[in-house]
Amino acid sequence: MKQQPVSRRSFLKCLSCGLCAFGFDALRPIVTTPPLFSVQTLAAEPESLKEVMFYKKLPDLKVECGICPKQCRIADLERGYCGNKENRGGTYYTLIHSKPCAVHTDPIEKKPLFHCLPSTLAFSIATAGCNFECRFCQNWNIAQYRPEQVESSFMPPAAATRLAREQNCQTIAYTYSEPTVFYEYMYDCAVEGQKAGIGSVMISNGFINEEPLRKLCRKLIAVKVDLKSFSDKFYKDYCSGELAPVLKTLQILKETGLWFEIVVLVIPTLNDNAAEIKGMTQWIYKNLGPDVPVHFTRFHPMYKIKNLPPTPVSTLETCYLTARDAGLHFVYIGNVPGHQAENTYCPRCSKMLIQRMSYAIIQNTIPAGTCSCGQPIPGVWKLPRMA
Amino acid sequence: MIILSRRDFFNQAVRLSCAALGILRSSFAFAQNPVSKPAGATVIIARRTDVHVRPGQVSSEIIRTMLDQGIIKLTGAADGTRAWLSIFNPGETIGIKVNAMGGRNICTHTEVAYAVAGSLVNAGFKPQQIIIWDRLTEELERGGYKINRGNNDVLCFGTDNDYEPEPEAAGSIGSCFSTILSRQCDALISIPVLKDHDLSGVSLNLKNFYGAIHNPNKYHDNGCDPYIADLNAHPYIKNKLRLIICDGLTAQCSGGPGYKPQWAWPYSGLLFSRDPVAIDRTGCQIIEEQRKFKGLQTLAETGRSPKHILSAAQRGLGVADIHTITRIMV
Repeated sequence: MKQQPVSRRSFLKCLSCGLCAFGFDALRPIVTTPPLFSVQTLAAEPESLKEVMFYKKLPDLKVECGICPKQCRIADLERGYCGNKENRGGTYYTLIHSKPCAVHTDPIEKKPLFHCLPSTLAFSIATAGCNFECRFCQNWNIAQYRPEQVESSFMPPAAATRLAREQNCQTIAYTYSEPTVFYEYMYDCAVEGQKAGIGSVMISNGFINEEPLRKLCRKLIAVKVDLKSFSDKFYKDYCSGELAPVLKTLQILKETGLWFEIVVLVIPTLNDNAAEIKGMTQWIYKNLGPDVPVHFTRFHPMYKIKNLPPTPVSTLETCYLTARDAGLHFVYIGNVPGHQAENTYCPRCSKMLIQRMSYAIIQNTIPAGTCSCGQPIPGVWKLPRMA
Repeated sequence: MIILSRRDFFNQAVRLSCAALGILRSSFAFAQNPVSKPAGATVIIARRTDVHVRPGQVSSEIIRTMLDQGIIKLTGAADGTRAWLSIFNPGETIGIKVNAMGGRNICTHTEVAYAVAGSLVNAGFKPQQIIIWDRLTEELERGGYKINRGNNDVLCFGTDNDYEPEPEAAGSIGSCFSTILSRQCDALISIPVLKDHDLSGVSLNLKNFYGAIHNPNKYHDNGCDPYIADLNAHPYIKNKLRLIICDGLTAQCSGGPGYKPQWAWPYSGLLFSRDPVAIDRTGCQIIEEQRKFKGLQTLAETGRSPKHILSAAQRGLGVADIHTITRIMV
């Protein structure tokens, strides 16, 4: 990939901004436990069981969950795969409504969402649980735990909205673990946020059923989907998931017109096969169009996969070129601070439009979302008026 | 699948070596004790219909008698004290893993767990060397257990969030183990409940250890097979488990793991074995007999054949062939 020369001035500028960015965020842990807002701002935790929004009651006090394609069938007193919902006497309850175990204020670029309100802050929340078990999970100490195994605070949707506003956040991000499994909390927060003029963004693995997804889309302004591989075998072997429902989610998002971006965590030897990346990017082009941003991000050894090295930058660059060759306009390389492919370029005149260093914006020439050559750059550049 | 770094590999190797040394030490103790011949695939069943004093109440005194009869028969020892000392070495910390998940009506009876603890104390163990435990303190409390973390009595508490910081592998599972199991206990007694399970067919001894890992919800596919078997093959369990006493005072033949009064019945028995597979196979047969009596389909006919029992036998954890299991009634 062709590297553009960097002047001493721009290097120093990048460096100082990068250090600020690191100081601001990157040197802190990804999640804070206990949460940032733990004592005064949050009320004492009451028993806050809430019935799950999508499930079916079955004979003999059993239930079938309808949130995600796992469709867990759960006997009385048992929990689903996600571990945070429980069947109590034939009624299915979420155990984590209003109980985030991670609360943080992040730059929205950290999600990463590059075409959505750049330079703004996202009030980021997560609860315990996930409907996948990725062997390389980066936040496994919350995502792969059950609610009672992590510290959490009581933060109902109104409090989340209030805190988001106090922190000057334009959005609430449902992130870190898998928001599909705290759907009810996410939905209620998004509704409260809408009332207060705060947008909501979901950072998800995309493993969600159509009905809850469509209902939720009306309350969100953007979604980031992890496309973990283009191989169903990989999904089964390394994530305990399936590929097809994720692709379907992407197609539904395209159909609804909601802004979304895709992240591919590239893991050496496991999902970095050139043919697979080519197939994936061609599928994206054909089914989702050239304008969906695709981020190829660098893997770091974690959880159950610790013997593999971090992804070589050259591998990410190969993925980048493959995606560009497939016709995608906005391809990024992530977790490599200072790389040229962190920046946004105009697909028509190739001008650099947004310069980034890690999570910091160094320069943004398109606050309104249009290049000086007249090319509109797709994305959410202004917080939409809330219904 | 878990792929380990060299550092993790060495860490695990050291831990496993320590565990192996512990086992060697206890095996040596066994060899020195003439009465401590392992019972192999023997299951002792002690039944007393009068153990139920009134609905919801069992007799501690009768349970103690059943316990003595069972343990003496199992070990071939001359008396209760020698029986316990043939299984456990003085100085060991003994964990009693109960199953409190089902609530008061279908959990390990407190009277059974405390009778076991009392027998150990009578045999010379200090109360603080005995830990009655399960996944959650809250579940233990719901089951009627008295939580005690430190005074001069038998200890009783849940793992709650005290798990090993890193996941460990055993075949198809990769989990963080309860530190009660991994660090605090030298030896284990498992006291499960004799009951049906919606997915695995039965929830007896082998499944009891789903309460020892942080992520049991990840291992319920395919009737929990081979996950249950793989979990029980982990050295923490395989090397420390010395005795299983299945609480069948109140048993349940369908609708588990939660309590369903229409499927519960007073089996009024305790099952004893040192074979973690044979006791499950025997318990499963008792449940099948009751299902037949109630006019229910077999577990296999409902698609819930407890495959994990056979998988456990295939891993060398014990005997699943019902014809080679000696069942002795006392």
